[in-house]
Amino acid sequence: MKGIIFAFLGGACLTLQGVANAQIGERMGTWQAATLTQFTGFLLALLILIALRDRSWRKVTQVKPMYRIGGAFAAVIIFGNVTSIHLIGITFSISALLIAQLGVTFLIDSVGWFGMAKKKPSVPQYVGIGTMIAGILILGS
Amino acid sequence: MIIGMSLAILAGSLVGLQNIFNSKMNERLGGWATTAYVLGFGFLASLILGFLFEGKQLFDLSNMKTWYGFSGMIGVAVVFCVVQGIKRIGPTYAISIVLASQLALALIWDSLGLFGLDKVPFTPRKGIGVMVIIAGLVVFKLSGKDSKTKT
Repeated sequence: MKGIIFAFLGGACLTLQGVANAQIGERMGTWQAATLTQFTGFLLALLILIALRDRSWRKVTQVKPMYRIGGAFAAVIIFGNVTSIHLIGITFSISALLIAQLGVTFLIDSVGWFGMAKKKPSVPQYVGIGTMIAGILILGS
Repeated sequence: MIIGMSLAILAGSLVGLQNIFNSKMNERLGGWATTAYVLGFGFLASLILGFLFEGKQLFDLSNMKTWYGFSGMIGVAVVFCVVQGIKRIGPTYAISIVLASQLALALIWDSLGLFGLDKVPFTPRKGIGVMVIIAGLVVFKLSGKDSKTKT
């Protein structure tokens, strides 16, 4: 039960973050919103890291350089997210975002890119993606 | 419409890619160390791109409200909740619920126009669309159950 509540709150916070960024973006500018949000989030994560005395960050040299900078995508993600919320509304924007996100993960898993264990796509997975796309067509029509 | 959709799809694709990169980093680093790196690089990239596009105007804080300074904490709350959820009920169910609640809340938010965003009136068609998407993602997630896909 607790797990369900945490997962629900996690999703709620994700939407809240999109909305907060959109709001900040409207008042200050989209890049300001992205920079500010990432900066304060980074500071808080850093504080938690120090409080927990987590020293695993030293092992970052064992991670391939390309994977280390995945966070940098966030600049474009937030810019796209904020601009899109303004243009087409939260529901439509988040629906398109989620479908693209699951689609890319699915693609990478099926092809086995980035050293991911190759997983053979199953028919129900195609049905699931098809259903999601049908849903967004209903939303958009 | 097309521009908004394309931007959302671009952002979503990058989220998918980023999740994979982050999970690679998480294989060696603890959860908070990974989070700090991800947000740190996100900050640097936003700073650089923001400065390229806006110049000094990026640092103009005259329109800032106090709560903006706390918005980054939402992202940290996301990480905490999702990690706790996965720990308790496993990635498949946790991520399904995360995505479903994200969508449901988006619909409520649009309909109420909270936080001064433009109100997008609720229509039965929208309710049905969101329910169909959620049904699709549950089918997708449950059918790939043994896969370790994150968000």
